[in-house]
Amino acid sequence: MLNTLKMSLKIDDVYSLNAFIYNLRKLPVLKDLITTDIYKSKSLKNVIHFFAIIYRILKAIFLRLLYFLTIFFCACLLNENNFSKTFIHIYFIFTIIGFFINNKLLVTSRKKYFSIIIFQMNAKKFMESLLCSAFFKNLFLNSLSLLIFNTFLHISLSSIIILILLPIILRITGEALNILFYKKYSYVWLNNYFLYFTILIFLLLLCLLPIKNIFVTSKILNVSLLIAIIFSPISLIYLLKIKDYKLLYKKLNTKNLAMNQENASAYSRQQMVEVKNKDINISSKKIKNKKGYDLFNTIFFERHKEILLRSAKKYAVLLAVIYVVIVILIYNNPAVFSATKKFLTNNLGYFVIIMYFINRGAIVTQAMFFNCDHAMLRYNFYREPQVLLNLFKKRLITLIKVNLLPAFVIVLGNSFLLYFTKQVNISMYIMLALYIISLSIFFSIHYLVIYYLLQPFNSEMQLKKVSYSLVSILTYVVCYFATDITLNYFNFSLLGILFTITYSLISLYLVYKFSPRTFKIN
Amino acid sequence: MKLEVINLSKSYADNKVLNGIDFTFESGKIYGLIGRNGAGKTTFFNALNEDIDIDSGYFYLEDEYGRNPLDVKDIGYVISTPVVPEFLTAKEFLTFFIEINKEKIENTDIDYYFNLVQIAKEDQDKLLRDFSHGMKNKMQILINIISNPKVILLDEPLTSLDIVVQEEMKKLFKKLKKDHIIIFSTHILELAMDLCDEIVILNHKKLEQISKDNLNTKKYKDKIISALKDEKNA
Repeated sequence: MLNTLKMSLKIDDVYSLNAFIYNLRKLPVLKDLITTDIYKSKSLKNVIHFFAIIYRILKAIFLRLLYFLTIFFCACLLNENNFSKTFIHIYFIFTIIGFFINNKLLVTSRKKYFSIIIFQMNAKKFMESLLCSAFFKNLFLNSLSLLIFNTFLHISLSSIIILILLPIILRITGEALNILFYKKYSYVWLNNYFLYFTILIFLLLLCLLPIKNIFVTSKILNVSLLIAIIFSPISLIYLLKIKDYKLLYKKLNTKNLAMNQENASAYSRQQMVEVKNKDINISSKKIKNKKGYDLFNTIFFERHKEILLRSAKKYAVLLAVIYVVIVILIYNNPAVFSATKKFLTNNLGYFVIIMYFINRGAIVTQAMFFNCDHAMLRYNFYREPQVLLNLFKKRLITLIKVNLLPAFVIVLGNSFLLYFTKQVNISMYIMLALYIISLSIFFSIHYLVIYYLLQPFNSEMQLKKVSYSLVSILTYVVCYFATDITLNYFNFSLLGILFTITYSLISLYLVYKFSPRTFKIN
Repeated sequence: MKLEVINLSKSYADNKVLNGIDFTFESGKIYGLIGRNGAGKTTFFNALNEDIDIDSGYFYLEDEYGRNPLDVKDIGYVISTPVVPEFLTAKEFLTFFIEINKEKIENTDIDYYFNLVQIAKEDQDKLLRDFSHGMKNKMQILINIISNPKVILLDEPLTSLDIVVQEEMKKLFKKLKKDHIIIFSTHILELAMDLCDEIVILNHKKLEQISKDNLNTKKYKDKIISALKDEKNA
């Protein structure tokens, strides 16, 4: 068992070191300084492996102390007078969270893919070694951290022992339950985001109870430990009885997920924009009388209904619900009334970030590349300037149309809010509507333009261009800071509309001038 | 030694790819698996190797220890696009693999194995990332045969190799067949007829052995092609 662990660690270290050297050699001067002979050096790799182990141990200790420090700070923040009790309370809730989400066995990783699938290690032994090492690691780290922190906490020795043992014993049952769930429903429950976040948020809210002087009692701690002690042997027997770990790991650690980080992200991006089965067949009505690239564009957008139209509709419904809730609140609460009134007159900047989040431009351009341009750009006829620009125009119009749906809901919602907050100035209604529509058009243009001008993906579908990432980050930062601008509604709307018009004209000119050269596979 | 496939079925959505396959493979023979594009050859291999869920079916391995359900550990599966750890050198890959599987491997001499697939000294310390497709494939084949699995599945294994290594590999497979069950999938009929003892076609979603009887090469070839064409007419 120890051997299995040792080997998988060693392979991982050598692999990471080689990858590091490989990337180092890509730099201009270092390429000549470091020859490929370096890969041969066994002694270098042994030394690095040794230091990697030391580094791992120190990192684990550091991270665990940081974890305890976080709990400690939270405890001081929530209830300074009873911070020991609060500490135990949060620690207990975090232990329960760990029980649900911190599972080692079903987490996918490159190390697992290599060890079990490529190097054909015994999957069961691998599982046992993971479980065993986690047990002793946590025993050591929890004991060390609690002993250090107890100089401030002054918790009794018996409680300390319970706090040390509870998470590690409970973890075994957590692992078993996770596997049981996977075997029954064929998916890892952590991937069910609804369930995951519901439980997480509920438990995190329980952490706030000490504000009201409600704490986890020592009785609850004792009972929890007793339950953990009863269930852990059963769980352990269950875990040891499972025979098909190899099959389990094979299904979870697929090649695409595990090969390397870059490919893994390309893979998840691809999954994100995958065409849904129900969208494969397109009704003949939709494509009647359409020809050439018009037909081509229609087919593309019809096949991507899920990430486009359906998601725009979902946003529209969600926004409508939010507006209804606000209207109800305005009627019942004078504070909301005045806040809404003030918001609509002075804080229009917030709409920039709202429109940023509901715009589907970024994901749609990814779908365009992965499911269409990635293949089509290899053909010369597709790259002719006329074809390219013609398609750009068609795509832009469709994209603007789709994004206008939630924008209209916002326009309508805002008008209602203005009405219910007793605004009578008609220019306010008009300016706000134009402002929202121009923002929506702006984001549609923006994403398509940067996609055509910077085409950031390579043939392996990896995001390669730093400039694209920079523009994306910059877009977010600008949107974020827009929330700080407090201008009167008229000036802000006017500014927004003028900005959109200027930006659109300049960027469209740039696309027409440069995209035949820039829009290609890297 | 025998590998029994009983009532194997697999569908993708509404598309049935394998439909109630019953077949028995024996050691001592190399089976050439032939089928038209999309007939389900890779699906058949993936099903045996438990890489996909199947709708129905059982696999049994009968050897000197009796008849037992087929264990994935007993399978060596060479896939058509080789997967190797890109940032290990060929030597590291082989060394680690032998170290991990030493209980199953009789000969632990690394040079012997590199010699077997003709990977020169200067290439042994290169990263597998810098290997060509063919070289990666050699490593993949090597890894899959040295741990001595009872069943060897080969999906288009020779197409990317140079002709010298192809000949070496053919010799190796012929040597291995005595104690192994080898199933070899290919689109090159000449290769299948040259290397394999039995030709099995995947037709009408089932496996069908095409017996050679006393036919000469030309007639045998025609028989296989007409059997495959049949599917289109059906």
